[in-house]
Amino acid sequence: MNELSRQQRKARQLVFNVSVIILFLALYIGFFQIQIAGSEKYYEISLDNSVRQLTQYPVRGTVRDVNGQILVDDRPSFFVSVIPRQLTDKTIDTLASIIMEDPVLIRDKIRGKNTYRPVIIKKDLEYSIISELEERRLDLPGVLVEVESKRFYPDGVFSPHIFGYVGEVDKNEAEKNPDLEPGELIGKKGLEREYDTSLRGTKGVYFTSVDAEGRDLGIINPDRNIEAISGTDLYLTIDYNYQQFAESLMVDKRGAIVALDPRNGRVIAFVSKPDYDPRLLSGKISEEVWEKLQSDTAHPLYSRGIQSVYPPGSTYKIVAAIAALQEGIITTKWTAYCPGWFKLGRKTIHCWNAKGHGKINIRDAIIRSCNVFFYQLGLKIGIETWAKYSKMFLFGESTGFDLPNESKGLVPTYDYYIKKYGPNGWTKGNLANLAIGQGELLTTPLQMAQLAMFIANKGVVHRPHIAHYLYDKQYNERLFFPTETSYIQGISEDVYELIREAMRQVVARGTGWLGSVPGIEVAGKTGTSQNPHGEDHAWFIAFAPYEDPVIALAVIVENGGGGGAVAAPIARKCMEKYFYDRLLPRTYVKRDTTVLDSLPQIQLEDVDRLRIGISE
Amino acid sequence: MPKYDYLTLGLILILVTIGCFAIFSATYSTTADENNFFSRQLLWCVLGVLVMIGVSFVSLKVINRFVYWFYLFCLFLLLLVFLIGKVGQGAERWLIVGPVYVQPSELAKLATILAVSKYLSDKYADVNKIKYFSTAVVLILIPFILIARQPDLGTALVFLALIIPLLYWAGLNWFNIFTILTPLLTMILSFSFWAFMILMISIVVVLTYSRRKPIVLVAVFLLNIGVGIATPYLWNQLRPYQQKRILTFVNPEKDPKGAGYQIIQSQVAIGSGGIWGKGYLKGSQTHLRFLPAQHTDFIFSVIGEEFGFIGVSFILLVFLMLILRFIHIAAMIRGQFESLTIIGIVTVLFFHTIINIGMTIGMAPVTGLPLPFLSYGGSSLVVNLMMVGVVLNVSRNKFIH
Repeated sequence: MNELSRQQRKARQLVFNVSVIILFLALYIGFFQIQIAGSEKYYEISLDNSVRQLTQYPVRGTVRDVNGQILVDDRPSFFVSVIPRQLTDKTIDTLASIIMEDPVLIRDKIRGKNTYRPVIIKKDLEYSIISELEERRLDLPGVLVEVESKRFYPDGVFSPHIFGYVGEVDKNEAEKNPDLEPGELIGKKGLEREYDTSLRGTKGVYFTSVDAEGRDLGIINPDRNIEAISGTDLYLTIDYNYQQFAESLMVDKRGAIVALDPRNGRVIAFVSKPDYDPRLLSGKISEEVWEKLQSDTAHPLYSRGIQSVYPPGSTYKIVAAIAALQEGIITTKWTAYCPGWFKLGRKTIHCWNAKGHGKINIRDAIIRSCNVFFYQLGLKIGIETWAKYSKMFLFGESTGFDLPNESKGLVPTYDYYIKKYGPNGWTKGNLANLAIGQGELLTTPLQMAQLAMFIANKGVVHRPHIAHYLYDKQYNERLFFPTETSYIQGISEDVYELIREAMRQVVARGTGWLGSVPGIEVAGKTGTSQNPHGEDHAWFIAFAPYEDPVIALAVIVENGGGGGAVAAPIARKCMEKYFYDRLLPRTYVKRDTTVLDSLPQIQLEDVDRLRIGISE
Repeated sequence: MPKYDYLTLGLILILVTIGCFAIFSATYSTTADENNFFSRQLLWCVLGVLVMIGVSFVSLKVINRFVYWFYLFCLFLLLLVFLIGKVGQGAERWLIVGPVYVQPSELAKLATILAVSKYLSDKYADVNKIKYFSTAVVLILIPFILIARQPDLGTALVFLALIIPLLYWAGLNWFNIFTILTPLLTMILSFSFWAFMILMISIVVVLTYSRRKPIVLVAVFLLNIGVGIATPYLWNQLRPYQQKRILTFVNPEKDPKGAGYQIIQSQVAIGSGGIWGKGYLKGSQTHLRFLPAQHTDFIFSVIGEEFGFIGVSFILLVFLMLILRFIHIAAMIRGQFESLTIIGIVTVLFFHTIINIGMTIGMAPVTGLPLPFLSYGGSSLVVNLMMVGVVLNVSRNKFIH
């Protein structure tokens, strides 16, 4: 059965023979074409010995705001490179004198590279130098003038912490990705880094033939050329006019504003001050400028919205309040007595209001930001529950924001204290501090804006993001980034209602009254956090409108003073601009105190200022 | 006394000798230490020829008995390279045995051919039955997957290339071959509407005249339609970079990392050789080191430059004679096992030859497959000669005179 008959085998042998002969004939024809028909052309090339592989760099994608306005563009810039294998000492010296560089520097750059692959020598050449190089081309075999694109920012565009910058590939990066060539530009910080592969595009290759003097004889085999593919354009969620306005509010300050759209997690504004001019880091970076930025004590290179961590101060009372209510540790009716101070062991700690708030329940304690209430509440909650709720609200971990180098902040746990301070590291005093957002607790402004988003959404959280979509010019296609949504479970509607209502009262008549916007119901919470670097940090977080929030934001002014006095007005301006596209004229700046008549008088200067742990 | 196949032996010795000369030229330089490629290859040649002659005298019964063990042993080695293997310059993996680097994927070729041949030469084996067909394919796919994951796709493809010739020789009928081949063709042509339509019409015509059961015809037709519709859809589901990765494999010259550069340099070398060549050791492209991997993958470019079209034609002729000779032997001998084995061997040698030589002039993709008997490399040379030894053995013992 299985063995073929003689005849079948013969037939199959014929099929095999014919296939083999046809393919060999194809090879013969191929060799005939190259060695006989095309022999002369190839012989010429082989005489010069000079096929050169050149890289065609793609145009880097632009960055645009939500309306398509260009924020970061690509412009041509000339640079000179050399073919190490064709260089003579004389050429190096001539080149060095034209571009005004030390010949030793050029030799350093090509040391150990004896290839036909060009090595970049100097970038950002001026036109006068380019024309001189062109004129003396015959004296400069192996020297190439090439063009690349460089980042360009239209007038009025700053926000370096959003865009970041591009720079030359360093050794580590080249090792990780062998595709990258020395001298090539890749994203180093910010969006340029996060979306580098999309923005960068794909390099092309073309082959030219050159003679012994380095004259270009043209492309030898166009079929083998590969066109570079331009990078995709990146569209952001921000409206840059609004971003500019938000930045203007912080001009002379140190701090950050992060405003999110709670309906989808899109960034509305992302401000970090002080900053620097992104033009300083575009193209060739001078060492002087870099040194200056690095050593500036105001740290302009720091993206405060995501990289800096601060104690959140009283804004964090919200978390303690939710934990206590949800766990049933207290009821809304439970009250504490605030005489203006609180005795913890041998220590006396004070409320910011030295006169005291009297007998106070949780709602009023939030509205009036009573510290003594929360010291006592903190002790009742305990570290485990407090840490559990902090983590539930995603503190102590990165938000997944699409800008690199985000800090995680810190939610200290019992184990943390023991580890750091030894077996007796944990004391109850810590808890009193943590409950009012002081002590070891550290958060980023973005995390605080995210907290405002949770409360606004009653537990729904969308991953904050600033990139809206990529626009692929080649395919004329928009690639949207999916919205990542999660839900914080286990917090009841009643608790949210109480907290939200209290936050509304904070702005309506409490410590955050300077954050109120006419015609819009705003909910917020002030914070004034002590820190070892001097004056207190001013915090304010808010969302609005109360019923269907469309903006959730966090403002911090480093060493600015009281949150209600300093941060809340900034938030108010942000919201006014957002809702009315202008600042509303304010006929009077006076607090509506009618409802607070029964309460002790509050001095504006003292708003939300707390003094704790001063006396023994 | 059986006759020894001196024609085959002669052709092989010619190729191996030319290979040594070419390697000498490709690695020739004034500095002495670089020349140990030549002396090493010489050593491998001597060893390989001894192995070849040795294998040609081993009793076929002994070989037959150990076929499956040999196959399992090779699979074991292939698994072993994952654990303790060393990744080479390409994607291939090596085992280090003392001073010698071994590529188990080379040995696995012979082992797989023998195993499939033995399986299909069983008295009851009928390759047109699904059970025997699929078992034979699985025997080939196991080493294919292991090698593809190294990831040495070039060598792995050699295994895929074995499937159709082996099964066809084992008696697979034309209709089944048609059923295997058409979906592949459909996949390629599905991107052009008219090409796809013409193919579908041709398929319908062929099916109509095939006189099979209607249900089979409908199944084959629907399979092709399904593949034709699914392929462009799946392709569009891929992200551009994924598409690019696939295109780069199909057409590696488009890889900006330098396969295009290699081919152009190789074309320049071969083209500049002209009719008569530049003369031995006089190839300027070769000696200025313009050629990439000129002693391994691009050894044929060295020959093309130095010996010209005449030299190329001669070597192509030698390869052609060798391959036709092997097919002739396969057709003329007794025994299904022996005949199938030779078909497997000739397929491997032919595939390597066409792909490697085609690559040097840009007709085939750059896959890193060495040229049998000529490229530098011990594992490949010894295993190729071992396979020739098997052919010599069979032709000595089983020829129908």
